[in-house]
Amino acid sequence: MKRIALIIVVMVVGSFSSNAQIQKINQEVFGMDCAPCAYGLERGLKKMDGLESVKVSLNDGKAYLELAKNNNLSLRQIQEEVKKNGFSAKKAEIAINGKLVEQDGTYIIQTGKENFAIADETSNSLRSRLKPGVLTVKGIVQDEEDDNLTNNWKLKIIQIY
Amino acid sequence: MKTYFLILGIGLLTLYQVEAQGHGPIYGLQTPTLAKGGINMNVAGMSIATEDETSYMLRHTLFYGLTEDLQITLTTPTIIERLEKAPRTRGNNMMPANGDIEAALWYRFFSNAFGVGKRFESTAILGVSAPTEDIRGQVNVGNSILGAISTGYASRTWYAWIGGGYQYYFEKNYEQLGDLPYASAVVGYRPNIFMGDYPKPDWRIFIESLAEFPGDNKYTGQANFTDERSKKVLVGPSFLGLYGAWGISFGALFPVVQDLTPGAVKENYRVSLNLSYWL
Repeated sequence: MKRIALIIVVMVVGSFSSNAQIQKINQEVFGMDCAPCAYGLERGLKKMDGLESVKVSLNDGKAYLELAKNNNLSLRQIQEEVKKNGFSAKKAEIAINGKLVEQDGTYIIQTGKENFAIADETSNSLRSRLKPGVLTVKGIVQDEEDDNLTNNWKLKIIQIY
Repeated sequence: MKTYFLILGIGLLTLYQVEAQGHGPIYGLQTPTLAKGGINMNVAGMSIATEDETSYMLRHTLFYGLTEDLQITLTTPTIIERLEKAPRTRGNNMMPANGDIEAALWYRFFSNAFGVGKRFESTAILGVSAPTEDIRGQVNVGNSILGAISTGYASRTWYAWIGGGYQYYFEKNYEQLGDLPYASAVVGYRPNIFMGDYPKPDWRIFIESLAEFPGDNKYTGQANFTDERSKKVLVGPSFLGLYGAWGISFGALFPVVQDLTPGAVKENYRVSLNLSYWL
C-alpha cells in the first residue's frame, strides 16, 4: 500500500514538474538593426534545447519563440542570449503553465526554474479568478536590468486559460 | 579593368574566409557588433589611384567576439600591385589599404539600445601593425601603433558615425613614415523599399567622408625636414547589402581637398569592395 502511495506521489510531482514551464515567449529586443544581427540572435536561440520554433523580426524588434512541450528553458536564459548578442532584452509577452502559490499576500506563479510575481497592474477581474493550484496564463513580463537578471519576474496577467 | 575583375574573382573564390564590418560603412570608423563567441570574416579588394599609378590589393580580416563588447581583429594583406610612390594614408579608416598586418582590440565602452532597432554606441580601438614590405613610398617602413575612437547612431532608417584616430610608425634604419591623425564622418540611410523584414535582403546607402593629416616622411638624404602636414578630405558613396549571414559593401572616395606638402603624392580616387560572412 505504501509503495502504491509512493508511486502516486512521484507521478503527481513528476507530472507537475514536466508541465510547469514557459510555453511561448514574444521577447522584445532593442538595438537590433541589421540582418546579421537578427541572424546571429536567431542562430544563438536555435542552439538552445527546448525550442520548437524561432522567428526574429527586425521590423517588430522581437523574437517569437514557441517552446517544446517538455522544455526546461527559462526566460532568463532567453534574455541572456539576447544580451550575449549585444542587444537589450526588454519586456516579454509569455504564456506559462505553473503553480500559483500565495506568499505574504502576493500571488506567485512558479515554473520550477523561475518565479513570476503577479504585478499590481493585473486587472481586478483577473485577480479575482486566481486560486492556488496549477494554471496557465498569458501575460507581460516587466523589463528588468540586463546586467541584474534573476529568476524572479513581475508578470501582468492579461489572460487566464 | 581586368585587374578589377581579378580582385572580384579572387574575392569571390576566397569568400569562405570573409568578414564584414557589421551594419556600417566601408571607409569610415564605425562601431561593429559581434556576439560573444561570434566570428566575422571579410575579404576586401582595395585600390588607390594616384596621378601616375594604381594599387590593387586584397585584405583578409577576422573578427572574434571575446564578449559582446570586446572584439579582437587580425587583418592581413595580399598585395597584387604596389605603388612605387605611395601616398601617406591608411586608405580606409577601418582597415589599412597598405601592406600592414594589423591586430587590434575593439572595445564598445558605451551602448544604449533605446528603441526597436535603435542604439547609440561608442567604440575604442587600439592596434599594432607590422609591415609586409621593407620600403613604402621610397621610405623604410617600421611597425606602428594606432588608436581610434568612434561613436554612432544606428536605427532601421538612419545611421551616423563620427570618429577619429592616430597612427604612429616607428623609425626603421633611420627612416620613418609620417604619423597620421585621421577622422571620418558617415551618414547612412535605408530607403523604404529596402525595409523588408528579416530574412529578406537589407540594403543601405552611405555618404562617407575621411579627413587625413599625414606628417611628412623622414628619410636618408633629406635636405630639410619641415615637420609640415598634408591635409586631405575625401568624400564618396558606399553601399551595404546584407542577407542572412552574408554582407557585401562597396564604395569609392574622391578627394575634395588635397593641400599637400612638397613631395606628397596626389590621389585621384579610392575604390573598395568588401565581402563578409558571419559564423
